[in-house]
Amino acid sequence: MLSFFHLPEFWNALLSSLIALLTLAGIMIRPFRWNEARIAISGAALLLFLGLISPRDALFTLLRDWNTFFFFLGMMALSALAETACLFDWLGVQAARLAGESAARLFLNVFLLGTFISMLFSNDATALILTPIVYVLVTKLRLPALPYLFACTFIADSASFLLPISNPINIIILSHHSLNLPTFLRLLLLPSVVVIGINVGVFFFLYRRQLGGSFDVERLSSPQAAIKHKAYFRYTCCVLALVAPAYMAAAAVQFPLSAVAMAGAMLLLAGACYWRRTTLREAGKGIAWSIFGFIAGMFIVVRAVERTGLTTKFGNLLLHLSRGSSFGAVMVGTAGAALGTNLINNVPMAVLMNSALVSIQNASPGVRQGFIAATMFGCDLGPNLTTVGSLATVLWLLILRHRNVDVSGLDYFKVGIVVTPLMLFAGALTMWLLL
Amino acid sequence: MRVLCCLDGSNAEQIGTALKMFAAVQPLTVGMLHVTDTRPREDMDLIRERFWRHPLHPHHAPAPPPEHLPRPSPREGEIYEAEKASAEEILKESRGFCAGAETLEREGRPEREIVNLAAEWCADLVIVCSRAAYGSREEIGPKSVGHVARFVVDHAPCPILLLRPTVRDHFPIES
Repeated sequence: MLSFFHLPEFWNALLSSLIALLTLAGIMIRPFRWNEARIAISGAALLLFLGLISPRDALFTLLRDWNTFFFFLGMMALSALAETACLFDWLGVQAARLAGESAARLFLNVFLLGTFISMLFSNDATALILTPIVYVLVTKLRLPALPYLFACTFIADSASFLLPISNPINIIILSHHSLNLPTFLRLLLLPSVVVIGINVGVFFFLYRRQLGGSFDVERLSSPQAAIKHKAYFRYTCCVLALVAPAYMAAAAVQFPLSAVAMAGAMLLLAGACYWRRTTLREAGKGIAWSIFGFIAGMFIVVRAVERTGLTTKFGNLLLHLSRGSSFGAVMVGTAGAALGTNLINNVPMAVLMNSALVSIQNASPGVRQGFIAATMFGCDLGPNLTTVGSLATVLWLLILRHRNVDVSGLDYFKVGIVVTPLMLFAGALTMWLLL
Repeated sequence: MRVLCCLDGSNAEQIGTALKMFAAVQPLTVGMLHVTDTRPREDMDLIRERFWRHPLHPHHAPAPPPEHLPRPSPREGEIYEAEKASAEEILKESRGFCAGAETLEREGRPEREIVNLAAEWCADLVIVCSRAAYGSREEIGPKSVGHVARFVVDHAPCPILLLRPTVRDHFPIES
């Protein structure tokens, strides 16, 4: 281990930056389609092995972000257990029944339902749980599937900055940079509405030819038939009715949101086990465990870079580019976060920005708040540009397509490249007006 | 004569009417084809991969699933059932417009499955509609032929009968 040798500060900084760069490049390119978690953990392990970050510092970094880890866990468990109660299936059937047999109204209802689910359960639930439910619905109703699938996928991110809990990225940022609930809502609620409005409007225009028809609602089962166990379903609704205001109250008094998510998940798990709807093992399958390795690895890698002073320089550069104005802060923050998100994934970008934003602590409140809100906005909405992954993934798909290999995912990019810059600009402009 | 008809869930009646033109042809073998598009499944898997989840349909996944990820959810079965039920219903409905027709069910990219099956089934004619009618206003013009019909016209191994809606109110077309 190099920790036994004394390396000059310069070499320490150079090696740390090089490993961080390699880790980020690895996440970007994913050589041999390696799992990102493996790449992030390898980067962190190498830093620890070379003594470029002490185990104590690494441990402290991870412990300091306990709220983020537990929020991810609670959020994923809450969604998975609510899915076990068939809540989302029931909501999907209700959305179809309320559409009055009109394909266009069902399209609008899918957007509204996606907004509601993203707001309360985070974007993860909309993209992963609502999308297949809507696909099954439109298949049964003989409606064109793609517009509805795209609606689910895009609204998952477009509605993910309505509340702090609407996207775990918000928790990563808010754990380091305090932004009280009234300020969060003041700066991000109206931009959310603007962005959702643009998303709905553009999609209605793009898919106008496919949304003119009607459907026979009798092809669907009744909402009651969607529920497999009534008592657990009612119990889930009651728990969620408690969790939603608890989230708001916790956000208002700056109480850790992970505690609310975990408590809600534990209550649902207890109910699910009581009514034998799931087992601990089954519930565990609904959670993407590798994301914890990925976040942990990224926290350690970015911490090592932070010690070199590079992230401070990056923060100063952002501040310089913004020219110290709130307009500059919002625009630079949004563009930087959105671009970075598409290059290296939104979790590493959020962690990196967390570190960079430390250097704006002394800026005026308008600039500071502008940067924090814009970072969340850019990291949350940015993925809509390249919905299926990063820019590297899209480039790879384009190469495959060029070689006449049949690929999926490019249609997402075609839509994303049209609608996302528009949403980013309009949302950022609205945010600036509210500062 | 072997006629392959491409169903899309909204065109059984239109195809049935067109088949009446061939009533005098003997012998006439009609094949009713429905292709379940697999792109939505592939797209859903790409999204799942972005959110660190195991693909729902591993055999359609673009890459082997990452290790240590949860196993597929039971949602997969529900998706297959819905697709299967819808395909069977569409094929059953088509037999109402052409009794005795052979029904053919495939899954994949509709445009490719149609031309491949036309070759495999030794079709003498493929009947395809210009685009699925989802209740929108009938249109003529450069975008009026959808990508599936366009691909079939370009790649079919036999003559094509392209069914278009009857539209009279856009004429004469001005230069």
